[in-house]
Amino acid sequence: MRLLLGAMLAFGVAGHAASASAQTDAEQLAHFEKQVRPLLLEHCQKCHGPEKQRGGLRLDAREHILSGGDSGPAAIAGDAAESLLTQAVSYDHELRMPPQGKLSEAERAALVTWVQSGMYWPDAPEAEPTAPLPTEASSPKALPWSFLPISEPAIPEVSRPEWVRNEIDRFVLARLDAEKLTPAPEADRATLIRRATYDLWGLPPTPEEVEAFLGDTATDAYERLIERLLASPRYGERWGRHWLDVARYADSNGLDENLAYVNAFRYRDYVVDAWNADKPYDQFVREQLSGDLLPCDGDETLRHERMTATGFLTLGAKMLAEDDPVKMEMDIIDEQVDAIGTAFLGLTIGCARCHDHKFDPISTADYYALAGIFKSTRTMDTFTVVAKWHERPLATADAVASAEQHQAEVEKKRQRIAAAETAGATTPGEELARLKGELSELEQAAPAPLPYAMAVEDGAATDLSIHRRGSHLNLGEIVARGFPIALAGDSKTALQGSGRRELAEWITQPEHPLTARVMVNRVWRWHFGAGLVRSTDNFGQLGERPSHPELLDWLARRFVEQGWSLKSLHRLIMASATYRMSSEYDERAADVDPDNRWLWRMHRQRLEAEAIRDAILYVAGNLDESRGGTLLASKPREYVTGTASRNATTYDTPRRSLYLPVIRSALNEMFQAFDFAEPSVAKGDRESTTMAPQALFMLNGDLVQQQTHGLARKLLAAHPDDARTRVTELYLRALSRAPTEAEIDRALRFVGEYATHPEALSPAGDPTLAAWQALCRVIFASSEFIYVN
Amino acid sequence: MSRACHRFTPVFSRRELLRSSAGGFGWLALRALMASERASGAAMENPLAARAPHFVPKAKRVIFLFMHGGPSQIDTFDYKPLLTRDHGQPLPFAKPRVVSSQTGNLLASPWKFQQHGQSGAWVSELFPHVAQQVDQLCILRGMHGSNSRHGGALLELHTGSDTFVRPSMGSWICYGLGTENDNLPGYVTICPTLTHGGVNNYSSAFLPAVYHGTPLGNASVSSDQAKIPFIERKVPSSLQRMELDYLREVNAAQLSQTGPDAALEGRIEAFELAYRMQTEAPELQDISGETAYTEQLYGLDQPETRNFGRQCLMARRFAERGVRFVQVTHSYKWDQHSGLKKDHSSNAMEVDRPIAGLLQDLKARGLLDDTLVVWGGEFGRTPTAQGDDGRDHNPHGFTMWLAGGGVKPGITHGATDDYGYYAVEGKVHFHDLHATILHLLGLEHTRLTYRHAGRDFRLTDVHGELVSEILA
Repeated sequence: MRLLLGAMLAFGVAGHAASASAQTDAEQLAHFEKQVRPLLLEHCQKCHGPEKQRGGLRLDAREHILSGGDSGPAAIAGDAAESLLTQAVSYDHELRMPPQGKLSEAERAALVTWVQSGMYWPDAPEAEPTAPLPTEASSPKALPWSFLPISEPAIPEVSRPEWVRNEIDRFVLARLDAEKLTPAPEADRATLIRRATYDLWGLPPTPEEVEAFLGDTATDAYERLIERLLASPRYGERWGRHWLDVARYADSNGLDENLAYVNAFRYRDYVVDAWNADKPYDQFVREQLSGDLLPCDGDETLRHERMTATGFLTLGAKMLAEDDPVKMEMDIIDEQVDAIGTAFLGLTIGCARCHDHKFDPISTADYYALAGIFKSTRTMDTFTVVAKWHERPLATADAVASAEQHQAEVEKKRQRIAAAETAGATTPGEELARLKGELSELEQAAPAPLPYAMAVEDGAATDLSIHRRGSHLNLGEIVARGFPIALAGDSKTALQGSGRRELAEWITQPEHPLTARVMVNRVWRWHFGAGLVRSTDNFGQLGERPSHPELLDWLARRFVEQGWSLKSLHRLIMASATYRMSSEYDERAADVDPDNRWLWRMHRQRLEAEAIRDAILYVAGNLDESRGGTLLASKPREYVTGTASRNATTYDTPRRSLYLPVIRSALNEMFQAFDFAEPSVAKGDRESTTMAPQALFMLNGDLVQQQTHGLARKLLAAHPDDARTRVTELYLRALSRAPTEAEIDRALRFVGEYATHPEALSPAGDPTLAAWQALCRVIFASSEFIYVN
Repeated sequence: MSRACHRFTPVFSRRELLRSSAGGFGWLALRALMASERASGAAMENPLAARAPHFVPKAKRVIFLFMHGGPSQIDTFDYKPLLTRDHGQPLPFAKPRVVSSQTGNLLASPWKFQQHGQSGAWVSELFPHVAQQVDQLCILRGMHGSNSRHGGALLELHTGSDTFVRPSMGSWICYGLGTENDNLPGYVTICPTLTHGGVNNYSSAFLPAVYHGTPLGNASVSSDQAKIPFIERKVPSSLQRMELDYLREVNAAQLSQTGPDAALEGRIEAFELAYRMQTEAPELQDISGETAYTEQLYGLDQPETRNFGRQCLMARRFAERGVRFVQVTHSYKWDQHSGLKKDHSSNAMEVDRPIAGLLQDLKARGLLDDTLVVWGGEFGRTPTAQGDDGRDHNPHGFTMWLAGGGVKPGITHGATDDYGYYAVEGKVHFHDLHATILHLLGLEHTRLTYRHAGRDFRLTDVHGELVSEILA
């Protein structure tokens, strides 16, 4: 094809040279009108004309062709070989035009001749000026509200100061006052302990815990309850999981070739530990972005912990089978930039990969400035199919060296054996046997395999070019690594190495307008079921505005002032009268504010998938609360979903749901049914749907069958002669309250009818057990069980 | 306060409903709510109610017969005499810049081609039964995609993006049109693959979960075992009915305590729907009422064709009942880097009769007019050889075909070069195919948008040209 174009060019050039002087306007005009204009009209202008400007390009006037589109000038008059137009129609270039099929040879030749001879275009009426590209490409964008500095709001005066427990309530009540709404009364104490326990642990309170709390008449009983809950490691297992949604955590690569991330669990355990230790959030962010670069003063444990934290950057979903290694690398970088934007800043920075962000002031230059930081970071070892991500040993330099040395000795021995075997008869049998014996001894003496973490390190510092339209085949100017100008200003920070450390410092500056706001809003969302900014992951122009902007800013300031302490933030929020409101319905308020934006009551919340599963196991007395580690049975980089499509992962374990492997693109069915966060994108606001598959799970799921069976047996064994107590105990365990007499009567009537039903009598099983199991199923399936008031 | 009120005015926005109550196939929940909503005079939209398309549609539903692995165009529907003539010669033009593996010289097709039907379309001897139906087909020989690996290509075919998790085409279609059967999912996928993107190939991604595809089994499960998750009753239905009556009382009592709550009301209906589904779905899957003729038509009488035949028959049964998008996956078998002769033969054998049977059956039942059947893989294969009996992935030019649902029957559109490597005429990218499928369903692809994370998304993103030449 190259040859063909070459030949045509030669022909075109020759023809031009021979006739240039003789060629009259008339000839050029004829060539243009007969050959060129019709083909431009027929094949090109539908997409590159007055109606549409694909790629920002118009081909209906000479000026437009010369000025070109996103990929630069479409043609250079007199230089067909260097003109994109002629290259594209040759079909021998990355860009193949027209897309619906190749032009005929004659048509291509006509274009080449025309470009080469200077692109004659008759002085027809002046072409109308190119319609400006969609304005967002050029015009400066207004700053979103969230880019403005965090204000220092005045604490408002309110109508009912006696309702107020802390400043949060003043902001909330002021808004309710303005809407002429009143806050719901405080929830009763049984509701409060159930709410707080599910909220901080993802488990229900035991009957004993409820009883103790109801009997605790001290004025600080509630505060002590919160402290008790915050001090338990169950807290980190609950709130760490919230963060894992934001970190798009998973134990497999997903997207295409689905390989096991056998070391991802170390990042998960790091997150749980960080929440339990109340690691300051700014430090938490710095470690995840640049833990490997932070000084550790020789503290190996600390070094490993921080290295593990950078797993955040590595564990995203990636295309490991992409034949174009450059595209693969840029896609992986893009995933990182996007995840960081969403997780820490609540921005959709990824939108600026192909064009300036259409709504937020983030340009492609900003995007590639950030992308350069990750281009300069080693996330991958290889980019050839199936690509390898980078992992780092969690061991001292000595241990690594000795493992390497041992490996080298093994290799040496193997080579000697191979050589000996090749030599064949010349090597005495005893010699070979001896070598093999030595190898086997050596292998047995191998040091324990080193633990590895998914982690990054700095690579060669490299600035990236702007990739026009997101294509690595269409490069523009190089931009220095840095941060978005609209947020960070124009003065470039001096970066060392990749610049990750400086990026982390920039994100965690106390005055950063987004970091603290985004995080306090996430925490609010996880407590209340809806954020003050409901679009928790988008603080840009297309996100929602805060319902209580002053409260958001006040909380953000307090959060930073209190050393970015998450536990302090929980205390503050949970101490408020706002948090302690009941979720009671109020017809007038519901009429004015059906979505409860103004917080006239507590949102009723459905338990998440993990909490439902954990609560079922816990109430049945079977939850295994051992902590940390991995349940993934795969070998490193082993396929978790194979070509036979069988997902080898087993979920049949009584461990907390947090520890179940998260297999991208083949999630546990129960998790799928109950709105587990799609683990390929950062997500701070899970859906909470009500679907038939959930009902089917509650009726037929294996977990429900097993646990209700066990629970029914326990109830029958514990109170063999007292059916009423059995019902009471079931209610206390599952619903954290005693049943009414009427409820007991109804339950027993159900059990009686069930156990004597002809169908229940027919199977070999025990009809009484079956009836009590059915009762347990009904209680687990009840709305009261899976909703928290 | 309105404690203990039983009749109340629901006051939920559509947004809240979409977030909290819609999902899976629990729209009955919504319908119940909407009934009272209508009584109160407020407007409410069921996300799965059948909706008017943008213009009069030709097709009401889609059956997508997906050949996972990449069937070879030059051994099936794209006859290349020069490939036979030049067997063993080098490809006389450049291979693509990016390839999945290195290939050698040209490899002639081991199968003979013949022209069939009134249309005279060429079909190889791999598809003798489909060849008899060739006058129903609209063969697209100029298909092309952008990704040369299974994962990327599957995702691009199913979602339009090989880079991000995006809603699948079935999800977009249900979002655009709703569904016509209240007791079944609007989008089912029979024996889908768990690899190469897995669930992401039928996920609703950021569209409301109500538009997520419902899998029946997966590719490792034989089609007679492929069921909706958790659909099998663990207790006899009479006992379950008793249990559900009691549960309904418990939940209604709770609702009377809480006051109106869309989600809690939705749950009550979701259990009722689940109860009915456990009856309806097995009935739908029980094919004992089909005639011996039909069973034979789909190849259920032969061991080679039984599994896929059953999938195709299920597809017809779902289509008949108004399911909007049914995907049938012939599991990952078509990837012949080697063993082309043997494996392409057995693959084609497994699907040929069932597909021909499905086309005949749809036609006989008058369903073909408004059912669009789509056949194809994630890419085609190279005319150049891997080893001496294999072909590599080729997204640059391959064949898919459409039938029924408003496409011109008995035509061939587009062409590859002389050897079948690159599409050169009538090129149809996956984006164009998506635009065309939506068009046939009465949806303008640029108008079917959903706002998410800062912008309006489409199935076709910024791409897609309607292939108007093939519209009937």
